[in-house]
Amino acid sequence: MSSRKWFVAALIAPAILVMAFVVFYPFIYNVFLAFGNMNLSRIRDWELVGFRQFVKIFTEPSQPGFYVIFLKTVIWTAANVFFHVVIGVFLALILNQHLQGRSAFRTLLILPWAIPQYIVALTWRGMFNYEYGSINLIITKYLGLPAVEWLKSPTEAFLAIIMTNVWLGFPFMMVIALGALQSIPHELYEAADIDGAKWHQKLRAITLPLIRPVMIPAITLGVIWTFNNLNIVWLVSNGGEPSDNTHILVSFVYKAAFNFYSFSNAAALSLIIFFILLAFSLFFMKKSRATEAAY
Amino acid sequence: MAALVPACRQKHSDSERIVIWHQMRPDERVILQRQLTRYMEVYSAIRVVELYKETEELRSGFVIASIAGQGPDLVYGPSDPIGIYETTKTIKPLEPYFSTEYLGQFSASALTWYNNHLYQIADKIGNHLALVYNKKYLERPPTNDREWIEISKEIQEKHGYVAGRPNVYGLAWNYTEPFFFIPFLTGFGGWVFESDGVTPSLNSAAMVKALRFVRDLRDVHKIIPNESDYEIADALFKDQKAAMMINGDWSWAGYVQKGIDVGIAPLPMISETGLWCAPMTSPKGYSLSANVSPEKTERIIRLLRFLLSEENQLETVRAIMTAPTLRTLYNRTEITSNPIIMNSLLQIERGRPMPVVPEMRAVWDAMRPAYQAVMGGARTPEQAARDMQELAVKKIRDMNE
Repeated sequence: MSSRKWFVAALIAPAILVMAFVVFYPFIYNVFLAFGNMNLSRIRDWELVGFRQFVKIFTEPSQPGFYVIFLKTVIWTAANVFFHVVIGVFLALILNQHLQGRSAFRTLLILPWAIPQYIVALTWRGMFNYEYGSINLIITKYLGLPAVEWLKSPTEAFLAIIMTNVWLGFPFMMVIALGALQSIPHELYEAADIDGAKWHQKLRAITLPLIRPVMIPAITLGVIWTFNNLNIVWLVSNGGEPSDNTHILVSFVYKAAFNFYSFSNAAALSLIIFFILLAFSLFFMKKSRATEAAY
Repeated sequence: MAALVPACRQKHSDSERIVIWHQMRPDERVILQRQLTRYMEVYSAIRVVELYKETEELRSGFVIASIAGQGPDLVYGPSDPIGIYETTKTIKPLEPYFSTEYLGQFSASALTWYNNHLYQIADKIGNHLALVYNKKYLERPPTNDREWIEISKEIQEKHGYVAGRPNVYGLAWNYTEPFFFIPFLTGFGGWVFESDGVTPSLNSAAMVKALRFVRDLRDVHKIIPNESDYEIADALFKDQKAAMMINGDWSWAGYVQKGIDVGIAPLPMISETGLWCAPMTSPKGYSLSANVSPEKTERIIRLLRFLLSEENQLETVRAIMTAPTLRTLYNRTEITSNPIIMNSLLQIERGRPMPVVPEMRAVWDAMRPAYQAVMGGARTPEQAARDMQELAVKKIRDMNE
């Protein structure tokens, strides 16, 4: 090998070494586990049993079943990312104007992102309490509507978790969108103004296409993070309450591994999640042509 | 850089460093830290490190760390995960290190034996629920379920309602967790296992009656809040917006410190069966990690003897009013003159030891969703009892496959 190649190898070796320990080894171990039978009683003498865990996940009726949880995960991810992007871009468009006190607004809007998720989740859980929570106080006192059993009914509980995560997640998209907006050359808008373009025409023809290359990777990341967001689901719903009806796939994996000690089952579910996200990312990046140049 | 390494090296070698993982509350932790400081003053070569872990994290974290050859030397907590620890071979028997005379000083319930080996020695007995009441609202605690409901209604009527909600609830507790439901199940004559101790017995008439009873407390008698997890119930009682509460011995000292005129009483009797509502009781104590080397064991046992000593147990009793495990302490005036501890001991007497078999885990996980579904109005008590049983059997089968 030439000295140049040795030099390159030496430069990337530390990164490869770290990756081997923190990514490759756990991933390969997880694959082995998924084809094994490691559980509480066989934690030390587990063995490979083929596709048993996968067959169990896809075919064995359970409460809650895989397909129901998967559907909920899709709804959870789609709803969250949709609102993150819509609210984020909307606020970024406002903040991109010449407003007085713009930096103060920007700081305020980033706050949800700056607060630790644990605190946010538990605060929102308290706010959703039927009798003493502020959400119901607002609903009953100012809107004159009946109080909602946010944490007791499955649908409402799921909605409560989504609302919490929407609040927590929009600042990220806002910051990304704001960065993208500020990089759009102003001359394009001036030219459009000369042509007599309306604001919605400028939005459709200039703003959205030019923030797309930045937003697509952010949305892809947002989908992966939201799909795998354990903290909010677990803490707001107190581990899937009521009756394990608010699980998404990743919270169910956590429960299977650390509450039920079904390590192989959890590993198999993790592998399924990995392939779902891999397929989505490849498909989305290809369809959205995110890697193409914008200008 | 290399010259700096010896200077940075820890002062204590691994065999001189003892690590304890525990799930003690802040007030318990303060006492532990004080005791450990005293210990390290006497044995200056030893460094004892205590690390707090939340209950679930302690259990699963200890199992995983131990299997990887890591983890603490001592693990402290309630006795219920002992079956899991033993099954995973993450703790080792303690009886080779203590004489029969020494162990004879402890209350029998302080020593957790499983598969003929001693796996835990406790410094506290109980970890149990009892009726906590605010003497501002009631002088005498109820002794049966009828009185319980009646007194609660009287208190609510007396203090009035705002927007249909009582200013003071008769009763509150964490009714999302099955652990808090057990007293009702036992009050109606039920239990979680058949007599073999491992087969779930959740689909029973007692279970149906107990589920209906708890649901009726809210929906028919309206003496408990519409939603109540641990934090809500605790806050209601601390704010004096609940006259009575079902809570464990870990919480009582906090209520006293909060300035509430607290009374502790055994949970009432269910009139229909003539049985007391019996909570699960469990000792809280220390287990020895299977990874501890023989050379280090002696040092750990010496520390364990110190932590379990009369002086240290008495210090804990005085500070947080938990029941000690050394029998010699039961006649001390600190205990006999304290009505909270005496009632706590009476409740322990009426309680039932929490099973330590790993199957208990499956039972909790099977009870929780169905119980919550009954309280959420999604399932009938009959359906819930059937579902619990079915799920528990499935989970145990999965666990053992």
